[in-house]
Amino acid sequence: MVPFLGHGIGLRNKHFPDLLEQGRRAEWFEVITENFLNVGGRPRAVLEAVRRERPVVLHGVSLSIGSVDPLDVGYLRDVRALADAVEPAWVSDHLCWGTFGRHNAHDLLPLPFTEESLAHVVSRVSEVQERLGRRILLENVSSYLTYASSTIPEWDFLTEVARRADCLILLDVNNVYVSATNHGFDAAEYLRSVPVDRVAQLHLAGHQDLGTHLLDTHDAAVPDPVWALYRDVVRRFGRVSTLVEWDDHIPPLDEVLAQAERARAFEKAVLEEAA
Amino acid sequence: MTLAELQALLHGRITGMVPGREDELRTEVVARPPLEALERVEIYAGMYLHRLVDAIAEDVPHTSRVLGHDAFLELVRAYLHEHPSRSPDIGQAGRSFGAWLRAYRGIREDLPDLALLERARSEVRAAADASVAGAEELQSLKPDALPGARFHFSPALRVLRLQHDVRPLWDALEGDAGDAPDPMPAPTTFVVWRQEFKVFHTVLSEPEAHALMVAREGGTLEEICATFAGEADPAQTAFKTVLSWFADSWVAAVTSQRA
Repeated sequence: MVPFLGHGIGLRNKHFPDLLEQGRRAEWFEVITENFLNVGGRPRAVLEAVRRERPVVLHGVSLSIGSVDPLDVGYLRDVRALADAVEPAWVSDHLCWGTFGRHNAHDLLPLPFTEESLAHVVSRVSEVQERLGRRILLENVSSYLTYASSTIPEWDFLTEVARRADCLILLDVNNVYVSATNHGFDAAEYLRSVPVDRVAQLHLAGHQDLGTHLLDTHDAAVPDPVWALYRDVVRRFGRVSTLVEWDDHIPPLDEVLAQAERARAFEKAVLEEAA
Repeated sequence: MTLAELQALLHGRITGMVPGREDELRTEVVARPPLEALERVEIYAGMYLHRLVDAIAEDVPHTSRVLGHDAFLELVRAYLHEHPSRSPDIGQAGRSFGAWLRAYRGIREDLPDLALLERARSEVRAAADASVAGAEELQSLKPDALPGARFHFSPALRVLRLQHDVRPLWDALEGDAGDAPDPMPAPTTFVVWRQEFKVFHTVLSEPEAHALMVAREGGTLEEICATFAGEADPAQTAFKTVLSWFADSWVAAVTSQRA
């Protein structure tokens, strides 16, 4: 299993000056992998400065593990080189697809939950883990559509990928809430079905309610229903490294850190209750 | 429908590359109130365009500002149709935008050059780190090795041959200084570079632009100096020019086969 890192935040450009001046005040940082591939200058300098003092995790958005395109071995080589240089606690990406015909939609598109998709993803996760020389974490994505061809519940699909490919799970609590609302499934059943021993990291984030659906925007504080679900997650999964994502309309560093602090307080309260 | 067929259907619709096929989408995507199947697909189509518009605007902020949001969005839509993103890094999606804009009519004539300058600045800002050579590396060569010295330039250096001098336009937009000046048509060589974390650009004289081209193509110091033969004091001009390349951190290394 992976180490418990505490409660971290994403490393974002807007906070670079504060991070350099005030020191690395979060317990750990998650880095968007693609932002640091073959990159120098200030971004690389900040990453190295942060890494000297805190654990860092690489979180990719372009693996496109469910795409029918061949795996992008050049991309995987670059990720491996970055991982070798940064020595992250782990490397993660999303259970989704985003490319077709080598054309990148730069989105986290949902997969149909079928036996065909399952076999396809499992074989590719195994190859990715081999090329990266490590186990990866895969994250459940928010979605706005489902497919008529799906025959497997999302939570069972995620569990089976992790079991058959022997990878770990990054459970995004906000994404569970968003997708449960958009598709009318029971978030509690999702959480009950995901195996405790596979969940190595949690994500918390904000979203927008557009009336017809929830949109996973990462542009606001974690809302109350997601905090409530986080309590249930901690009750079931115990202490798991937790990260607050805030990617748009990013507030000052202190505000993001306060969200990580709040997550720590929630976790402490739940674990004390259970003790 | 196989996984490959389903991905082709969805991807084509979301990216706008394959419009239509509504009946198939209605069959494959579940309609769940309050949204119909096509409305659900359109959520992704809208996000696709806006995400890439934002990413390219980050590369060329002044160009997008001059164009205005709606015109910029329509240009990016047309650009993506011809240049769909093929990189895992969304920051590379606008790599060809300035060059593509050159063929476009009905916009300010110097905007393509402004976009090329802005993109070069963006590339240089995050270009790979490299060692920086000082002039002492050249001076440390034995006298008989000097003429054969060759320069290896920093990855954080770009040279652009533009059709307008867009310095006044860039300065006005960067300083938020009122109306944009009129276009200044003139073949102009820009150089963009990074020193520490700061990005600079300037315009080169024709002799220096020629000398730098020779140097970047692997020419020797002797060949570089020869490009200044038409100057009043060729040796002094060549000396000063080459030293300025070192001072501005353009040179990563110096080698000479006779060293």
